[in-house]
Amino acid sequence: MKGELKEWQEKLLGVMKGRRNRQLLYYLELCTRCGLCKDACHIYRATGRVEFVPSHRAEILRRLYRRYFSPLGRLIPSLYEARELDERALEDLYEAAYTCTGCRRCMVYCPFGIDITWLLGVEKAMLVAAGKVPEELAMLTDAAIEKGNSIDLYRDLLQEQIKGLEPELRERTGMPGASIPIGRKGARVLYVALAGAHSILPAAIIFNLAGEDWTLSMFESSNYGYFLGDTEKAARVAERIVSEAKALGVEEVVITECGHAYRVMKHLDEVWSKQKFPFRVSSIFEPFARYLKEGRIKVDPDRIAERVTYHDPCQLGRNGGIFEEPRAIIRAIARDFREMNPNREKNWCCGGGGGLVAQPDLEEFRAVTGRLKAEQIAATGAKIVATPCENCRLQLDLLNQRYHLGIQVSAVTDLLVQAAVVEKGQKKAAALG
Amino acid sequence: MDAFSFWVAGVMVYVAVAVLVLGLAWRLYQWRRLAASPMRLGIFPKPRGGAKALRIVADTLVFPQAAEVNAPLWLAVFLFHLALLGVFVGHLRLLGRFPEFLEVKMSESAHLAGGTMGIVLVVTLFYFLIRRFKSPSKELSVPEDYLLLILLLGVVVMGDHLRLFAEIPFSAYRQYVASLLALRPEFGPEIAASPYKTALVVHVLLANLLFIYLPFSKLVHFIGAFLTNGIRRS
Ligand code: HEM
Ligand code: SF4
Ligand code: SF4
Repeated sequence: MKGELKEWQEKLLGVMKGRRNRQLLYYLELCTRCGLCKDACHIYRATGRVEFVPSHRAEILRRLYRRYFSPLGRLIPSLYEARELDERALEDLYEAAYTCTGCRRCMVYCPFGIDITWLLGVEKAMLVAAGKVPEELAMLTDAAIEKGNSIDLYRDLLQEQIKGLEPELRERTGMPGASIPIGRKGARVLYVALAGAHSILPAAIIFNLAGEDWTLSMFESSNYGYFLGDTEKAARVAERIVSEAKALGVEEVVITECGHAYRVMKHLDEVWSKQKFPFRVSSIFEPFARYLKEGRIKVDPDRIAERVTYHDPCQLGRNGGIFEEPRAIIRAIARDFREMNPNREKNWCCGGGGGLVAQPDLEEFRAVTGRLKAEQIAATGAKIVATPCENCRLQLDLLNQRYHLGIQVSAVTDLLVQAAVVEKGQKKAAALG
Repeated sequence: MDAFSFWVAGVMVYVAVAVLVLGLAWRLYQWRRLAASPMRLGIFPKPRGGAKALRIVADTLVFPQAAEVNAPLWLAVFLFHLALLGVFVGHLRLLGRFPEFLEVKMSESAHLAGGTMGIVLVVTLFYFLIRRFKSPSKELSVPEDYLLLILLLGVVVMGDHLRLFAEIPFSAYRQYVASLLALRPEFGPEIAASPYKTALVVHVLLANLLFIYLPFSKLVHFIGAFLTNGIRRS
């Protein structure tokens, strides 16, 4: 049987074999195909399409596994509808792997706790080996790696951009000495933002107000290699930040409001790159909640009058472990806070994860599959939806338009800046935007 | 014992039990010889210590989350497994006598409890089977799923048939199992003379087939469920 395999098939099956570990085998062999996970997936619930049943996405891999690896599957392939690794299978793998947001809500509800995304990770690795990946994700990943290679070019650009932000920073904080340091050796905190002033200025205001000993990273925190499922490239993207943090000797790497970036740095990259970080990784909310508690920043609890709700980004919440800090911040600054139902690890995915937001041709798909989220938001009656993930915010903006929700989607830090009381000169920070 | 009974309710039982035990051991070995994932795959929040153990047991035995998203299916699955456990315990009585007070209670309630559980099994199995002929379960299912359900239905229907209609005293079954344990399989006069003898042999035949296939099927989830549920909370 081996002799009949073409080279590309050998290669892809090799990838599958290389990914085999205990967990993978459990997940491949234990699923009863009960279909309970379908009721937990926003994509299936919104579309009713069989190919979007979570276990069906993984079933393709399972049937390949039966065909090529499991003894009984090779003996009696029809028992499992075992299938050949052909062009058609590649198409199906692509459709299954790259339309899942990776929210892992299905894992919460499966009676066995089967992690569908772990199986889809193997599917993605095979597709990466086959060169059959979403173009946008591949381009963004390569651009990020390229940036790491030619950082001197970008340093000047970033310096320039920062210079332009500092006057506003000084005005908002009322601190003539407020600054945005880049690449400052010996700083306690390395803040990793996203590309764009919207991710730098508000955080800089809070860091300055709190008197934090910080510096800004040269790199953006987002990691498209992770969405791509190319762990080797994803590790290279993350490594840019790791080596920067090591070179500066920081104690804490603080990841901005971004779900997957936090998960990658906190929970994944140490395994991918087989190293132990000499610094701790935290989400931006950990220091911010600390500042509030220690009184290092003062807030006006009445500043935000409208009802606020909070959307747990899947990668930050159930897959990252940050639930309470952002809530503590919102509770401190908003009188009328209303939880979504369900929330925390059971929160509905907005439909923007998994790199879907970066793929323009999936916009219609996202609009449709965000239905449950839109209904959930509408039920809170909130006017402001705070959420700490750029992908979620872009998706919620789309849902706001399509479902006429009449909401304002906001980063949590933006709300915090809005409510922050400037001590020096008693000048209050004006709202952003 | 006639020849057919001897081979099916005698020799084949030994083979089936051996395949079951060795097969399960082989499956466990297949899993455990591979390295565990270096990635922590659990979801948050992560309970610790006693709370974690409790959570894993609850997840495995009750899987309460499933009830939130699909109550009817959860109920069917839960009742099915409960009945399965009950029937399993009931069958243990064949191996020997329970402590006296239990023995009395169990033999008093055997007909009602066994009958009820048997009916629950048939009904839930039918439900599982019919469900798989409807989309999206249909597309999701592979022949293994139907095969197992039909096999189980066969075992259960024959079991119910014996439970509800055969007038064979329990002591006769016990005698038969004792003869199996003594490696001299034999039907006593009550079974040999009963018109239900064939039904019994078919029940045992189907159970043998189930035992032989079980270690290689998705039914190993009865062991795996504890392991994967452990991973989810770690
Ligand atoms: C001796 C132990 C067990 C046996 C023999 C057993 C057997 C079965 C059988 C025959 C089915 C029906 C499959 C089908 O619908 O096609 C099933 C389904 C199922 N079992 Fe078990 N099981 C056992 C233990 C467990 C445990 C400990 C769990 C805990 C999570 C579990 C969870 C499930 C679930 C969720 C289903 C899905 C129902 C479905 O397929 O519609 N089982 N089991
Ligand atoms: S809920 Fe779990 S066991 Fe059931 S079909 Fe989905 S992945 Fe498989
Ligand atoms: S991870 Fe989320 S989007 Fe993907 S299959 Fe599971 S529930 Fe659906």
